[in-house]
Order: sequence, then C-alpha cells, then structure tokens
Amino acid sequence: MESELLRAEHIDKRFGITHAVNDVSLTIAPGEIRALIGENGSGKSTFCQMLCGIYTLGSGTFTLDGRAIQPRNQVEANRLGISIIVQEMGTLSGLTVAENIFLGHEDPFTRWGIKDSRAMIREAQRLLDEYGFGRIKAGAMIDNYNFEDRKLIEIVKATYMKPKILIVDETTTALSQSGRLELYRIMDATRADGRSVIFISHDLAEVLSHSDSVTILRDGEYIDTVNARDVSEDDLKRLMVGREIGSAYYRTDYGSPISDEVILSVRDVSVPGQIEGVSFDLHRGEILGFGGLSECGMHEVGKAVFGASWDRSGSVMLVKDGQAYLAVDGIPMAIRHSIAYASKDRDTESLIVNESIRNNVVLPSLEDLAERHLLKKRKLDRFAKEHSERMQTKMQGVNQFVSDLSGGNKQKVVLARWLGKGSDILVLDSPTRGIDVKVKQMIYALMSELREQGRSIIMISEEIPELLGMSDRILIMKDGRISGEFLRSQALSEEDLIAKMV
Amino acid sequence: MEKRAENSVSRRERLNDGQNQVLAFLGGDTFKGFLPFIGLVAIIVIMNILTDGSLLQPKRVRLLLSQVYYPMIVATGVFFVMTLGSIDFTEGSTLGVASIVVSALSFYSIPLAILGGVLTGAAIGAINGFFHVRFKLQSFIVTICTMYLFRGVCAYLTTETAIPASPAIKALDSNELKIGVTLAVLFAAWFLFRFTRVGNDVKAIGSGETAARFSGVRTDRVKFLVFVAAGALTGLAAFVNVIKVGSITATAGNQLETQILISLVLGGLPITGGAKVRFSNIVVGTLMYTVLHNGLVMMGFASATQQLIKGLVFLAFVALTIDRKALKVIK
Repeated sequence: MESELLRAEHIDKRFGITHAVNDVSLTIAPGEIRALIGENGSGKSTFCQMLCGIYTLGSGTFTLDGRAIQPRNQVEANRLGISIIVQEMGTLSGLTVAENIFLGHEDPFTRWGIKDSRAMIREAQRLLDEYGFGRIKAGAMIDNYNFEDRKLIEIVKATYMKPKILIVDETTTALSQSGRLELYRIMDATRADGRSVIFISHDLAEVLSHSDSVTILRDGEYIDTVNARDVSEDDLKRLMVGREIGSAYYRTDYGSPISDEVILSVRDVSVPGQIEGVSFDLHRGEILGFGGLSECGMHEVGKAVFGASWDRSGSVMLVKDGQAYLAVDGIPMAIRHSIAYASKDRDTESLIVNESIRNNVVLPSLEDLAERHLLKKRKLDRFAKEHSERMQTKMQGVNQFVSDLSGGNKQKVVLARWLGKGSDILVLDSPTRGIDVKVKQMIYALMSELREQGRSIIMISEEIPELLGMSDRILIMKDGRISGEFLRSQALSEEDLIAKMV
Repeated sequence: MEKRAENSVSRRERLNDGQNQVLAFLGGDTFKGFLPFIGLVAIIVIMNILTDGSLLQPKRVRLLLSQVYYPMIVATGVFFVMTLGSIDFTEGSTLGVASIVVSALSFYSIPLAILGGVLTGAAIGAINGFFHVRFKLQSFIVTICTMYLFRGVCAYLTTETAIPASPAIKALDSNELKIGVTLAVLFAAWFLFRFTRVGNDVKAIGSGETAARFSGVRTDRVKFLVFVAAGALTGLAAFVNVIKVGSITATAGNQLETQILISLVLGGLPITGGAKVRFSNIVVGTLMYTVLHNGLVMMGFASATQQLIKGLVFLAFVALTIDRKALKVIK
C-alpha cells in the first residue's frame, strides 16, 4: 500500500434535509497536491470545512498521520497541522497584520498573561520578508491593505507553521496573476517538503497545471479520483456534470451589427473616489461588456446606472426615439423604468439570504402584482414558482430560504427575479462569479436569448474570455475612467484588452 | 477575545445543532412556530393550578383582560419596529408624555384629546426615526437617549402634582370601547402586514437591509414611517390608559418598554426581526405576559421576586427560540 498522510472514511454531513456530503472516502499521500472539484453545491467546501473544524463532522473519521482527529475549531485544526485559506475575506479588521498572522497562536509571545507586541511584530515581519512580501508592514493595521494584500497575509498566516495539510479554497479567484504565482510557489514548496495540499478551484486549466491528482465530487458524492496528467479539461467537465457538455459555451455569431437605437445615455458620471467622467450609450439589443482590473471602477458604473451610488454627479438618462426623457436618480425609479441590477456581491446586495425564494423573487415586482394595492399570497407563489422554475432553480419549493442554496442556484434566483420583472436593461455585475460550468453555460444562453429579444445588457466582468465571448462591444476601464473601446471581433485577443487595463 | 472571534462560527453552529436536536425531538421547525402557543396554554394551566383555580374565574379573567388592551396596542407598533430588526425603548416615556397631553386636552374636547395623544406619540416617533435614519445611529442608542429625555419631560410636568383628566374622559371607561379600539388597531395592522407592501417591505429590511434597498424598497422612508407609526400607536394607547387610570403621575408607563419587549419575545418574535416574524406574536405574547404577571401577583410574590422570575422565564425563552444563523447586532 502507498503511504498516506490523510485518510477520510465515510465522511457525511447534512444541513437539514440537504445532504451536503454523502459518505465520502479518500486518501491523500504525503507530498501530493490534490485538487477537489465539482459544481457548486457538490460538497467540496463543506468537506474541507469539516476537516479544518469550521463545521462539525456529521459522521465518519479523518485520520491524519495514523491518528484519528476531530478538530472542534480552526485553532485546534491548526495545532493538529491543518490550515485553510478561504475564498472570501479571512482576516479580521481592526487588528494589526501581526495580530492577524498569529491569531489563536499568541501563546509564544505571551508571558504571565501579557502580550509582547514588539516580539510578535518582529516575528511577523521576519515571516513576511521570508515570503517576499517585505513591503507589507507587520505593525500596520490590516485595514491599510487592499483585498489582495490581505489575501497574501492570510497565506502567510495559513502556512508559516508548516501545516501537514494546506487547504486552498477557491483563493485564486481573489488574486491577480502575480498573487496567483505566489500561491502556486507556496503550494509547490509544501509538496517539495513532503506535506500535502488540497486545492479547490473552478478554473480547470489551473487545476490541471498545478495538481497531481483530481478528486471529483457531484451532489455531495464521491465520483472518482484521476491522475491530472491523464485527463483533459473536457474529461473533468464530463465527470463533474455527469454528461457531455457542449463546447459551444459563448456566443458563436460575429458581425451582426449593433442597433442604432440608443436606449440609455450616460454622460459625465462621476462618483468620488470611484469613477470619473464616464460617458457611454447603450443600444437596443446590445451586450455591452465592461472590463478592467478589479479596482478600476467598473463595478461602480453598474451601481451608478442603477441609481445606487452615493453622491453621484452627471446624468443617466433613458432615451426613446432619440430623445432623452427621464433621468434615473434612485433605485425605485430605475426598477420602475425597467432597469435590473445583479450585484457582484450577491449575498448582501442582490439577495436577502435570510428570506424565502418567493419573497426574493417577488420583491421588485410587488407593485405589478398588487390588485388595488392588495397582495394575494397565491398569486405571489405562482409568480415566484413560474420564474424560478424557468431558471431551473434547484429548490424544495419557493418557501425554502435562499441561505440554503448554493452559489449557482442563488444567482438563478437573482435572474428569476429580473426575468419576472421583465426588465429591458439588465446590469449584470460578474454574473458568473463563483459559478460552475453548467450554470455558466445556462446564463450565457439566457443572455443571448434576451439579446435576441431586443433587451440590452451591461455585463461587468473580471473574466476576459467571458467579455470576448459574449459582448457586442467592450469598454475597458482604468483608474476610474474609460480607457478603450472594442467592437466584437474574432480577431480581438486577451492581450488587446489587457493592454488598455494596465 | 481573538480566539473567540475565530471560534464563533463553529460554536454558533454547534449551539444550533444542539438546539435543533432538542427541537427535532419535539417535532422540528413546525414545533418552533407553535412553541409560543403551547407556551401560552402551558402558562395558563400552570398558573391556574398554582393559584388553585382562581386564575380562570370570570372576575379574574375580566380584570386580566382589562390589563391587556393598552400593552397590546403599544406592542403592535413595536412589532413593526422589531420586524425591521430595530428596537424601541421609548414606549414607557412616550406613554407618560402622551397621557399628560391627553389628560390636559380632555377638558376641552375628547376627539381633540385623542388627536393630541396620537400626534404627541407620532412626534416622538419622528424624532427617533429621524436620528436613526438620517444620522445612521443604531435605534438601540437613539431610543435609549430619547427614553431618558422624555422620561425627564414627564417627570418635570408632574413635579408639582399629578395631572388629572376630565371626568368626561373617565366616564368613557367601558370594556366595549377598549376592546373595540384594540381590535380595530390589531385588525388594521394585520391587514397592512399581510395584504400590502408594508409587511413585505418591513420584513425585507429586517432580513437584509442592503439587498432590500437594491430591490427597490425605500428603506429610509419605511424605517422612518415605522417609528412614527409606533409612536402614534403608543399615543393612542395613552388615551386608553387615561380612561382607565384617570390621573397621570411621574411613573406613568414606567418600564413599559421592557414589558413590551418581553411580551413580544415570549410571543415568539425573533429578536433579529425579519422573515420569521408572525403577526400572532403580538397577541400570544401580550396574553402570556399578562397571565404570568397576574399569576405571580396572585401567588403572593413580592414584586422583587416577580421581577426575578420574569427575568428567568425571559432568558430561558430567548435562549431556546433565538435563530443563531440570523444573529447580528440589533440595528
């Protein structure tokens, strides 16, 4: 038998009636980078979060180095030699960089209950320098650093004590290219040291180039483990979805002209500290892509169009027959005049997660659904059911809470809501962020369908292939301003766009 | 402290697990919804046994009901505030100030007195709402400040002597009128909550304010109006109170805010507000509190002991029913 570092046997977890992880067993060898892939809701994150003590183990056993473990929280997991870098923000505001790095491990710096901050900062700085992040100051407040730097700090925190198992949970989506390279370097170093990495990612190219073996989960069940060298991206997609998935992912049409009819005119819009002097027109039946680096201001453009920005200047006008007839100044007005907005921050800005699917879907349409100001539950139920079923939302019923759904299904609820409202202008910010291939494909098909119907879409995206594949026209932003415009063309390459971003 | 932050997710989940096991044993989530009703029946039965059956004597029941009206009207307003995920501590002092206004105006005209009470309450609600919405202060902080402020006003106006009401208003004291007003308020509020946008908007804000705003809910306006309405209802309750007591002293409405808070939570209102509130929380909660209170009085406990027991019951109830997943700071 091969040597093994981690053995998971019959791991199982339920959340209410959702069977999140269903009897999963696997082993990981020392010095192995094991990718864990699957669609949203396949149980990869839940599996790892049980391993590192964030969730309690439903049933089954983890054996690390021949010893059965059952960490009750992250600090305990750290001590056992398991650490995790998560997808979202994993550092705590209001503490210094050093305090974050040694969170839960203050003991070496504590004598008679008194913390020696100087020693802690000194040690933290030594680690940062060692990792090559010397520009980050250990004594500074963590709030002084941006998302990406905080991710790097988190990497130091998760790896400095040389864990036996390092879990990287969809961290790369938050990182730029240079940040990713740092992370890959650390993963490789961990492997070279005879320790192991569990790597969760939706980016299959990245999975194949940076892991030794790949375990596929589907609907909480173990499907297979394959050698990364022996398979292709399409093989992985097939295993994840359980059926053949077409390669026609994006739009395939080129050269269809953009309508002359302008329906929304944005002039000289500025939001302090975010965007400056942004002007553009949106045409009927057009998919207008917005691209740039994540801090370039493009996300604020979406909010500005929807009337949701604080302190906006300039004008956002609806246009009919060449005449600007209405200024969009607030969210209720934007919604009433057929503008929809799906935020990048799905869980706080798009959805009320502690509410039912029904109430989330009907919320913007209540005025339309009321008969003489009265709301009838049956009618609301039917409306919510119709539109969430049209989006093929996986749910037990419209009364189920949104918090129970996976990322992809949450996005379906968001789209169901705006389909129900029948909006003509859809502002979709990062519509496929953190979403698996199957749902992605469905969202792209839906966008094409809406476009054919003559509706207009503003798609803000950090993924360049998506911009190239779906947009009729692409605007690139840099430092809060529009820095370039491209028309849909097969000749357009990623490099062309990147050149305008940086 | 730092460790605690890191542990809190798993600990919260584990607590929920434990709570769920207890609840699953008793019949799951549906049970959680019925818990307040069962609690009401249980508390009536227990109190009836402990008082040797005297709790349910007709005379007692009438007395008991006469204590229910004005807290129920006040609780209706606070119900909306707490559904927002906010909190209001001003009911007691609002009731005091509004009662003084009602009493003073009752010498001129009864309708004027009612209007004066309602407007006084609405004005105090507007002050709360304005500071909460405009300055983005937590309602917790704002209403604690205004509670002291208006308790002060109330004490100042009653320093010399208690303020009497006109005999005309006292002559109105009949169960029919009080029941009528209370039922009218409950029905109107239920209708708004259940069949109009109001209920949806208020619940949406309680469950997730940012997302509600991005869904077209005029969050600031709704929040402001809810505070105004809660104040106005307390002002109306002041009228019912004046009918009953006849003259106003500095302690009018003392500790009403805690009574209402305890009632609503006993009635099953999640302290976090939002999607899981039920309109029945108001009725069940107010009745439960009144039965508990009267039972303790009849059993002859000193008021200090009564407070102690109420505190324990309240604590046990909150711990058992709170939804830890939705837990956040009260707005």
